[in-house]
Amino acid sequence: MDKDLHSTFAELMFHLLPSPYESQEINHLTLAYFVISSLDILNSLNRVEKDAIANWVLSFQVHPGTKADPNNGQFYGFHGSRTSQFPPDDNGVLLHNHSHLASTYCALAILKIVGYDLSNVDSEIMLASMRNLQQPDGSFMPIHIGGETDLRFVYCAAAICFMLDNWSGVDKEKAKDYILNCQSYDGGFGLVPGAESHGGGTYCAIASLRLMGFIDDNLLSSCDSSLINVPLLLEWVVQRQGMDGGFQGRPNKATDTCYAFWIGAVLKILGAGNFVDNKALRRFLLTCQYKYGGFSKFPGEFPDLYHSYYGFTAFSLLEESGLKSLCSELGITETAAKGL
Amino acid sequence: MASGSSEVEEQEQERVMLRDRPEWSDVTPLPQDDGPTPVVPIKYTEEFAEVMDYFRAVFAADERSPRALSLTAEAIHFNAGNYTVWHFRRLLLESLKIDLHDELEFVQRIAADNSKNYQIWHHRRWVAEKLGPDARNAELQFTKKVLSVDAKHYHAWSHRQWVLQALGGWEDELDYCSELLEQDMFNNSAWNQRYFVITKSPLLGGLEAMRESEVLYTVKAINVYPENESSWRYLRGLYKGETISWANDPQVSSVCLKILSSKTLFWILSVTVINRIKTSEMPLRL
Repeated sequence: MDKDLHSTFAELMFHLLPSPYESQEINHLTLAYFVISSLDILNSLNRVEKDAIANWVLSFQVHPGTKADPNNGQFYGFHGSRTSQFPPDDNGVLLHNHSHLASTYCALAILKIVGYDLSNVDSEIMLASMRNLQQPDGSFMPIHIGGETDLRFVYCAAAICFMLDNWSGVDKEKAKDYILNCQSYDGGFGLVPGAESHGGGTYCAIASLRLMGFIDDNLLSSCDSSLINVPLLLEWVVQRQGMDGGFQGRPNKATDTCYAFWIGAVLKILGAGNFVDNKALRRFLLTCQYKYGGFSKFPGEFPDLYHSYYGFTAFSLLEESGLKSLCSELGITETAAKGL
Repeated sequence: MASGSSEVEEQEQERVMLRDRPEWSDVTPLPQDDGPTPVVPIKYTEEFAEVMDYFRAVFAADERSPRALSLTAEAIHFNAGNYTVWHFRRLLLESLKIDLHDELEFVQRIAADNSKNYQIWHHRRWVAEKLGPDARNAELQFTKKVLSVDAKHYHAWSHRQWVLQALGGWEDELDYCSELLEQDMFNNSAWNQRYFVITKSPLLGGLEAMRESEVLYTVKAINVYPENESSWRYLRGLYKGETISWANDPQVSSVCLKILSSKTLFWILSVTVINRIKTSEMPLRL
């Protein structure tokens, strides 16, 4: 992998995202997370101003102002972007609060990456109000005005609580029950109960269980398989590596760069990393590497931010030299996760 | 005018900037505040920035008008993932008492360009929920249409499962799965849907009642494509929680032996055989 080329690519993206990304403006913090975490993995964070990043991220946080009632049904986290952020009215009352769980996860992840001490984040109302998003079945809605509920937001909620080291925002038992309901007959996890097993859903399930402390590191060696069907899961996960060396997200689908992370990270968390044919995976990923930096979804296509990021994380899991190692369950580097 | 979608189509041909449209002359756009030092800035096109600034002005003023509704359609056209825009659109649909059947058409048009977007499907569900059982056929048809283009469309399958559970319409679902599997035996989504139907349909009596006929169906499929992971996994799924009959069922043994005796050894077959040997030991240990 051409590390310098990718660092330059990530730095260019940091300074200006091309116009096609405007259609994802609502997830601006997620786009920023991809860029900034890429720089960190590539050991190139020294190219950017960390304080400016921290201040920018913090400016998306919703402050309800006067003592807001955490039981009013709203969630007070981070806005995803500027278009959804509105100034308070003349009396200082916030009329439009569109805080989002994924944006909140990305905000906190970026803050950790740039070394901001999360104990300085006003998180009391954030955590208390997060409970408003958890549904009776244990799943999470991403935003209080309504939205699809699935494993992605269970993961976001778990990662937020883990990073803040405070679990008051989540009913862990309920969240666990929801996750277990998403395990399919074939061993993988769908995004919602009944849905087809999916690499991304399986990552959210396993990473969440790990963050919530329901499964230990190296689950295989500890033999604690009472919670989920580990042998069936492992069979499903291992078989996601295709003939071309890449990983697919579902059986009988094409291999795709991003699943090298979603599936690779699950194997890592399960302590089953040695089931991967690393050489073949590396070969596949290199066919998706773009000559001017970044990675594409499929071989020989143009790169995008999302697949580039998961290409870098995949190479980090492959222990590519010069890359920082990854905290698989948080989706940031080990150094960022540990606050070093 | 009802849904604002026909306007989007017209404007696609020759889009006039909002500031040049007389009907918007009374509105002052509300630009977003990027702060002193924007990080990871996006190079907005002029059209995008303008639509969003007008949207922000109208949303902040809470203007519940037909023109506001048509503006949300334009904003969605530029960024279909913007949940704030969709949220305001739902408020407008309610305030203006719009016929929600028109809204289904609007969603269909938006989905034609960008169907892999969570907000579109969330919105669709909101509309269908409001319409209730009346929407059942429209929703089954809509998902069928999307699946005819991409038979493994994750959002479409999730929506369809929700429709079945919330609004009903199970009668033809097993046949639909068979139809899709006939087109492509390797369609894992269709196998998954089949499992969903036999375990969840109130008309079929559950996994236990369906096992025998489903095993027959699956064994046939395995004989045609013994390398197909999907059918093998489905077969094993039919014995979920029944490890003893999984290990002892002669139908499973015979298909394993038959495929074993052919010249090619498939990974999925090896896994199945090993798993059966392992589970068959369990009653002995007990």
